[in-house]
Amino acid sequence: MALRADPNNPYDVIVCGAGHAGCEAALAAARRGAAVLLLSGNIDTIAQMSCNPAIGGQAKGHMVREIDALGGAMAVNADTTGIQFRLLNASKGPAVQAPRVQCDKKAYQFRMKHTIELQPNLDLFQAMVEGLIVKGDRVVGVETQLGVSFYGRTVVVTTGTFLRALMHVGSNKNEGGRMGDFSARGLSASFQRCGIALERLKTGTPARILGSSIDFGALEEQPGDPRPTLFAFYDSRGGLNSEELFHVEQSGQQRQLGWTPGEDPVSCWITYTNENTEAIIQENLHRSAMYSGEIKGVGPRYCPSIEDKIVRFKDKARHMLFLEPEGRNTDEWYINGLSTSLPFDVQLMMLRTIAGLEQVHMMRPAYAVEYDFAPPTQLLPSLESKRIEGLFFAGQINGTSGYEEAGAQGLIAGCNAVAKLRGEEPLVLGRHEAYIGVLIDDLVTKGTSEPYRMFTSRAEYRLLLNHGSAEMRLTGHARKHGLVDDLRLTHMESQVQSVLNWVERLEQERLGERTFAEWLRREDRETVEMPPAFLSESVTVRDEVYYRIRYRGYLEREQKQVERLASIENILVPADFVYQGVPGLRNECAAKLSSLRPRTLGQAARVSGVNPADISVLMVAIEGRRRRAKAGRGLDSPDQTGGSE
Amino acid sequence: MSANDSFFALASAPGEAALALLRVNGPLVPTIMREALGFELPLPVRRANYKHYTDTFGKLVDDLVVIYYPVGASFTGDHLLEITPHGNPLIVQRLMEDLQRRGLRQAEPGEFTRTAFLNGRLDLSQAEAIGDLIHARSERALEATRRQMQGAMGEHMSTLSGQLLQVIASIEAYIDFPEEDLPTEDTGGPLAELKLLIDGVHRLLATRHYYSVLHDGLKTLIVGAPNVGKSSLINALTGHRRAIVSEVPGTTRDAVSDRIMVGGHWVDILDTAGLRESEDAIECMGMAMTLELAAEADHFLLALDASLPPPPLPEAIVGRMTSANTIVVVNKCDLPDARSCDEFLPEFPHVRISALMGSGMDELRQQWQVQLEKRFALGLYDGISVNARHAAALERARDALALARNKLLAGESGELAAADLRTALDAFGEVVGKFDVEDMLDTLFQNFCIGK
Repeated sequence: MALRADPNNPYDVIVCGAGHAGCEAALAAARRGAAVLLLSGNIDTIAQMSCNPAIGGQAKGHMVREIDALGGAMAVNADTTGIQFRLLNASKGPAVQAPRVQCDKKAYQFRMKHTIELQPNLDLFQAMVEGLIVKGDRVVGVETQLGVSFYGRTVVVTTGTFLRALMHVGSNKNEGGRMGDFSARGLSASFQRCGIALERLKTGTPARILGSSIDFGALEEQPGDPRPTLFAFYDSRGGLNSEELFHVEQSGQQRQLGWTPGEDPVSCWITYTNENTEAIIQENLHRSAMYSGEIKGVGPRYCPSIEDKIVRFKDKARHMLFLEPEGRNTDEWYINGLSTSLPFDVQLMMLRTIAGLEQVHMMRPAYAVEYDFAPPTQLLPSLESKRIEGLFFAGQINGTSGYEEAGAQGLIAGCNAVAKLRGEEPLVLGRHEAYIGVLIDDLVTKGTSEPYRMFTSRAEYRLLLNHGSAEMRLTGHARKHGLVDDLRLTHMESQVQSVLNWVERLEQERLGERTFAEWLRREDRETVEMPPAFLSESVTVRDEVYYRIRYRGYLEREQKQVERLASIENILVPADFVYQGVPGLRNECAAKLSSLRPRTLGQAARVSGVNPADISVLMVAIEGRRRRAKAGRGLDSPDQTGGSE
Repeated sequence: MSANDSFFALASAPGEAALALLRVNGPLVPTIMREALGFELPLPVRRANYKHYTDTFGKLVDDLVVIYYPVGASFTGDHLLEITPHGNPLIVQRLMEDLQRRGLRQAEPGEFTRTAFLNGRLDLSQAEAIGDLIHARSERALEATRRQMQGAMGEHMSTLSGQLLQVIASIEAYIDFPEEDLPTEDTGGPLAELKLLIDGVHRLLATRHYYSVLHDGLKTLIVGAPNVGKSSLINALTGHRRAIVSEVPGTTRDAVSDRIMVGGHWVDILDTAGLRESEDAIECMGMAMTLELAAEADHFLLALDASLPPPPLPEAIVGRMTSANTIVVVNKCDLPDARSCDEFLPEFPHVRISALMGSGMDELRQQWQVQLEKRFALGLYDGISVNARHAAALERARDALALARNKLLAGESGELAAADLRTALDAFGEVVGKFDVEDMLDTLFQNFCIGK
């Protein structure tokens, strides 16, 4: 394909922004065979980890595995550029264990850029998008700062924190979505002209420091796991020697594995704040941008600045900090736990009170950033705008936080832009199927008042969403939407079948006085002598079989709850349904639903302030409308009723 | 809200009546018919059947008439069972509690009609009326809940909910934030909190009976030998002629009831057939019924004829009477040969009246009120009482809390207990209004310093 800016030959999909959401969006659309243009203001910072150099963790790690199951790139990219792997919550049950990996930040970016370069149907071009081109209520293209317009039948907006972005270091303010980068000024106005509402959020990132100035002798080491838990499902991808595991360190035309996942791991280090740190912060609180009232945007509850933590948790004598390496080929370190909007001089004083950092050299200061986001209740569950047809939103512009949340939305938006072009049903995952389903349903149904981060406690069917089953849970969707190639799909389906067969067999076959399943529920699984054929199955299959047998009662209970609610979950609310004037529907409820426009009754039921009686009334109204429509059709077109009238 | 579970509702007015009507709908109907009512397959369709209802503990609840309508041939279009028990609120309550134990739930407002409509059993022109009906009924239910929640009940529920959110937050923190510098995980705290919570729910549930007393009336049995003027007494109390009064002994054969206010309490007055030995078959049945009623009565007015020597009374009734629940009412004190009856059951309060002349009635009411207030000052939980719908939700919460506690005690991983705690929180939500995960997260971030 060749780059083109021709209104008569539009792209299928234009993706604006090449962060974690934009990359997955562009790749997913291109894998589905659409002609895709990916625009980025700076293609040297593709898939940049603007905050900490790590992927995964609780709920986020689950989502990365789901992204992999749907053919996304984040999992393989994290595995192949990972420099330290850990399985979190290893002492708890499988449902709440999650993989996490420290990545080489630059390697992650370069490899993702190369993945995009290799993808057929995908053009990458450096240009900053300044505005949308809209005809009627339909988007048809974008204008760029270069003065060149590009045309597309659908547009996916993944602009992150760059809209009217303002960075704060104390009272110092600079425009920009990330230190050293620009702010997108024109696009906000363009959205507002289209009737898309914008609000402000705030986030922040800590200082970076030079490793050689750290006294590691004073710190506590945190090594990785001896055996890595990987994100991608290599069993169905053809094993760990697959072509896809290429790395960006090249030798001539030959791409090489930079390192095998888990090989030569690096450590993180732990240190703590102390009373001196606290004293400096207390003395200078009035100089923090957040405390002086400079920042109006709402920051996240789960990621407070250090000044917030000290003010709110006075009794806590010290706060833990993690020092994370940013890569193998740099000595820059990230200080996890020390977000702040205090000014430069205070930051430096504060850092030097901390054990191991007495002589530290700060390379970049911590800063807070305020930016525009478009409240996601303006979106359909497909992530398409309710107002502008063909316009999709994904990532931080939707009010989320985190690479994984962004990547997940990007993948869904990219997939659904193509579905839109082809007139197919969009990919909408259920809350019982995936954390991605919980994420998008929460966003479009309830919106968010802080940067939204996924927690496992947000999922009401948490036990069904163990990370190991991500691929099996999503195989059907991957097939339906053509998100993975046929060979992998065949592997995925045969795994699903193996799990089902083994669970059934082990419930029936006996070992002495009990069935295998009964033994597995009573004893430690290592002590149960399993059939040899079972032991030759892949680890993914075995682990899932163990899980389903061991937790059978819990899983069945959650499954039952899902089924109980399925009847309202599947009742579609017609897109043009008029809530005002529905007999028996309370006015405040009608007003709320008219603005949120839920797609199903299940979604409506999750809106705050909507009670069961309202849903009951809607059920009747929707059925009444359906019957009226049917009666109307019957009269207008006798052929549909067999011509007997 | 789901289309495939089973529900029931009382279709007749609550309170004392000759008969009540319970409607049961959904796939569990055939099971109920076989297990509680002793039907055998094939189930008889659209026919009145006289059956005994046996609860899950194997105890007989009532003999009653049931009619079964199969799928496609019922008002709702689903399996539908109409149960007609005796109209005693205690019987109805026991039936409803048993149905809940068997996995059914109380219908939502207007749910029978809605189901009928969705199953195509009602015509389109009725759709609007159904919406209004659902709305009206749910508003009434909401209003009742609102009123309850303004009082002490609301305070207790919000304390319990707050405690539960704390417990959940303290478990979730260790699931979602394993890398944070939290205090070492210790189930001791949540376990102690759970114990308190379970006790709190227990105490609320114990007020259930008081609720039925408040709302369905305190059952007061008027007993005495034939022709001591029991019916006249009722008429004097209610101020109108309800019971048939005649000179012929044994006129009152059915328990006739009326409802009056005594102090702040609703009182259901049950007139009974006179207690004496009789050969008359119908009168014998009436007396048998009096004995039955006595077993469930809350209060007694023992009527005597001042002009006659006190009669012997069946032990089955006298045995239920105490000085706290009985007033000896000495009637016909206007007659010339009236005597003092003080020596009869002397430890009980006595009031001398003439029901015909209306004398002594004020004193009777006063005595009665004093007695009621004494009784219900005890056993009361700050004036709180839970209704059947709340009780069902609280029972579910209690069971889920107990399961969670057992899992923590057994050292199982926190996410398993968390699943039960979520069930408990949802059940609380049915009483005080739905909880959002944000409520829990707020508690979590307030209590734990999270943030890297």
